[in-house]
This record gives sequence, C-alpha cells and structure tokens, in this order.
Amino acid sequence: MIFNSKISPQRHRDTEKSKNQKIFALNGIHRFGSGFSLCLCVSVVKRFCLVFPLLLLANPAHAALNVFACEPEWAALAQQLAGGQATIYTATTALQDPHHIEARPSLIARARRADLVVCTGAELEIAWLPVVLRESGNTRVQPGGDGYFEAASAVHMLEVPTRLDRGEGDVHAQGNPHIQTDPRNFLPVADALATRLIQLNPAHATEYRQRLADFTQQWRAAIAKWETQAAPLKGAAVVVQHKGFPYLSEWLGLKEVATLEPKPGMEPGAAHLSQVLNTLQQHPARMVLRAAYQDARPSEWIAQRAHITAVELPYTVGGSDAAKDLYGLFDDTIARLLKGLQ
Amino acid sequence: MNTLELDILLPAFFAGLLVLTTHIPFGMRVLQRGVIFADLAVAQIAGLGVVIAGLLDLADQPLLVQLIAVTSALCGAALLTWIERRAPEVKEACIGLTFVLAASLGILLMSRDVHAGEHLKDLLVGQILWVNDTQLIATALLTAILLTVWNGFRRHLGNFGFYALFAVAITASVQLVGIYLVFASLIVPALVTYRRAKRRYLFAFVTGIAGYASGLLLSVWFDLPAGAAIVWAMVLSGGMVRFVKTRT
Repeated sequence: MIFNSKISPQRHRDTEKSKNQKIFALNGIHRFGSGFSLCLCVSVVKRFCLVFPLLLLANPAHAALNVFACEPEWAALAQQLAGGQATIYTATTALQDPHHIEARPSLIARARRADLVVCTGAELEIAWLPVVLRESGNTRVQPGGDGYFEAASAVHMLEVPTRLDRGEGDVHAQGNPHIQTDPRNFLPVADALATRLIQLNPAHATEYRQRLADFTQQWRAAIAKWETQAAPLKGAAVVVQHKGFPYLSEWLGLKEVATLEPKPGMEPGAAHLSQVLNTLQQHPARMVLRAAYQDARPSEWIAQRAHITAVELPYTVGGSDAAKDLYGLFDDTIARLLKGLQ
Repeated sequence: MNTLELDILLPAFFAGLLVLTTHIPFGMRVLQRGVIFADLAVAQIAGLGVVIAGLLDLADQPLLVQLIAVTSALCGAALLTWIERRAPEVKEACIGLTFVLAASLGILLMSRDVHAGEHLKDLLVGQILWVNDTQLIATALLTAILLTVWNGFRRHLGNFGFYALFAVAITASVQLVGIYLVFASLIVPALVTYRRAKRRYLFAFVTGIAGYASGLLLSVWFDLPAGAAIVWAMVLSGGMVRFVKTRT
C-alpha cells in the first residue's frame, strides 16, 4: 500500500481527481500546516488507489477493437460507428498528402496490433500501405482478409480510366480515390463498415446497429441542409489545382474548367499554363480550389493572373480549425465555397 | 508567341535576371574559394530555421518566417566563416557535413510537426513559374541593396561579410526559383568563364541570360517543367560560350 501511494500521484498526474487532490493539499498547507495536509493527501491517494484498479476492470478496454485508419475521415467515421468499442489510430493527418507518406516504425507497430485497417483503397495508399502491412506480419489485416476494409469498394467510382498509362502521373486504375469530398459517399461506406465491425465484434452487434441507424439519420439530414446552403454553387465554374475534387464537383454541380497541375506535385510546363489562362479567358471561372495539404503558390499564381479567388478546402477532418469532425468538415467546405463565390 | 505566353514567361524571366545579377559575382567568388556546396548548406540551414519557427507556432506570419529564415542563414554564414578559418584544408567536407546535418535535423523535427515540413518544402523548392509580383518587387529591392554593399564595400567585407551577403541572397533566390536553378546560376556562368581574364562578366551574363531565355522557350514549345529545362539550357549555352571563347 505504501508503495502504491508513492507512485500513484505521478502515474495519475493528469486525472481530474489528482488535480483536486493537489489543490486540496495546497489549501491544507495554508490552513493547517504541512503535517496535516500530508496525512490528508496520503489518505486520499490510498482511497484512489483502491478504486482505480476496479475502474480499470470495469473499462471494456480489453474488448475494444484496435482500428488503424489510413486517413482522418475514416477514423472519424469509425469513431461515429464504434463509439467506445474501438481504439482508433490515424496514420495520416489532413496536412499530409495521403499518396506519399514516409513509413515510420510507429506505423508498423500500430498495424501489428490492429484488428481492423480502414483505408480509402483504390490505390490511394499504394506507395506505403502494402509495405506497412507486409512488415506488420499481422495476418488479420492483410488485403482480402476480414480485418482489411477499403472504403472505395463501397462507392461508385468516378474517372475510372479506359486506358492505363502511368505516364499520366498519379492515375488510379480503379478511379479517382478522393471519395471523401462527397458526403453522400459516407452512407454506403458507413453501412459496409458497420457490417464489418459486427463481423469482427459480434458481441456488440446491437450497439453498432443502433449507432449506424443514428448516424445515417443525422447524416441524411445534414446532407439535405448542406445541399440547400450550397444551392448558389450549382453550375459555378472552378479551376482545380489538382484532380482531387471530382466527387465534390459532381455533388454540388461545380463545373471544373481547368486543372492547374496536370500531374500532381510536378511543375507544369509554360505551355500548359498558357492553355489554362486561355481557357479561363473563354470560360471565366469563379475560384480556384486546393486541398489544405497542398502548396498555396500555384493557386495564388492563377488567382492573381485570372482575377479569381483562391479557396483552400479542408479536404478531410482536421484540414481547418472548423473541420473538427465529419459534420464540421462539410460545414466548413460549404462555407468556404460560398465565400469564394462573393 | 502570343501575349498569354509572354504574360507567363516575362515574370519568370525577370526572376531569373534578378537571381543572376547577384549570383554571377558570388558564384565566381565561391568557385575561387572552393566552397561550391556552401549554397546548399546555407539554404538548408535557412529551411531549418523555418521548421523551428513552425514548431514554435510562428509559421502563419510570413514576414516573421522570412526574418527567421534570414537569421538562420546568417548563423549558417557565421558557421561557414568559422569552418574556413579553423579547417581550411577540409572545408568542403565540413560544408557537406553541415548540409547533411541540417537536412537530417529538418527531417527529425518535421516528423513531429507536419505543417512545418510543408513550409520547408515551400522554402526549398521554389518553382520559377509561380513567381508573383510581390516576390519580384521584394527580391528586386533586396538585390539592389546587396549589389550596393558588394560593389561599395567589397574590399572591407572580410570573410563573414561575404558569407553574410551570400546567405541573404541564397535565402531569397531559393524561394524564388528553387535550389537547382540557384546552384546552376551560381556555378555554370562562373565555371564556363573560369579561364577568361577579359570581359569575364560579359560572357558570364550572356551564358546565364541565354540559359534562362532558351530554357523558358523550351518549356513553352515542348511543355516541359521550366526549372529543369533552364538548368539544361544554361549548361548548353555555357558550352557554346566556351566554344566562342576558344575561337577568338
């Protein structure tokens, strides 16, 4: 017991309880002198140490699924559907290009412990995920297994190439993988993801079903609200910095008249840029769109030259201060697009 | 060529001219001292400063970021001066090591802060076609100041004075045109006119200007990435300038 009371103030330094203890102890020093306050402190700590292991037992941490999400939007969706039944790790942030991240040991360690890997698929993570999964040696989460979930397989893909040519840059055989820019895509993905969660953790099937029903209902209502708000955007001509917005454009009826960087991340030739400016003279656009993780310079350049507004979209959860969750993501996206129209 | 293409090429060409005006004299000095990779080291240290600014949450104030980049580059200049004084016989090795250390420290720090990494990328891989008017005006002012100091006080500058001017020039030019073009603008004109005693500056400028002009034109005609096209065009025009020299 003595041993416990020595270590526990350190171990639980951040918990609310121990904060209160400290304040209490400090007050004690002023009122009654240090001897009394020490006694008090030790007794509170003792009681805390008796209770805490029970709390640990009551916490269903051992039953929770370890979810490894490749992108923040799937982490957010898994959180919505699994609630406390999952411990979620996100491999990339909104400020990283999900095409290219460096494989770190921590990624492999997380993949090793994962019960479920939730990714976009459609080759978005092809540069790093296969390596991470192979190195993890975790048989549950290999492609094709129950623990491997690709969101793209649940939605209707756009820009599926009829002809495959790697020379065209980041072209994806299964279509454009940036499906998270259309909120309607989250409905079939949520459906499929909930089915998978139930399969992996059938003990909590009722809870998953309930959460799915709640999410679907709220999400449909939110989509209706966003569509009403976004009505003025219908038919608006836009330039995109890279081919990352076909789903958003299809949803809101935006008209993409030009792409600034035909090959993502590569400096375009002067001839292409003059073609873009030429197109813009014939079909003036209202704004140029880029994702939060991209270099601002290309869109600032075209904005200055063609006198249009440069709009940075959060692109995924965490891409802006307002995009804290899935709802915030689309609230902010619509708000920024509407502001760009003015 | 239509006006649209001129509209794209002219700012890029002016950016190239601005870079050349400081980099040709500095390049000759760098070549003479045998510190060719000093520009890479200085640019990387400037980038490191920006990463640290990102970690301290100062990244959203562009002026402050520039100030930090220049300050770090000046620290780099002090380091280069010290290396040249203390270990002149192995200075190239020390400069190379400084570059690798700064680059790796940047990666280590970036692994904690992704956004700072973005700023480092922005700083080191300026792309000549994205040049905007504000950047051009700011760089033109800076170039005028640097040239005045260089021409007026060259004799009294000393080692640190040279490296300080060099560091400030590199910090600006790397953001304007990117590290490949900075390296080419420093070394190619100085190298191809190395043995020339008479009218060295004239030939050096002809090399540089012809490189930027023909590289940009190649970029329009064949739709090539501009930076890489200019590097090759400059080396080719440098070769021609050398050829002219041997005939006269």
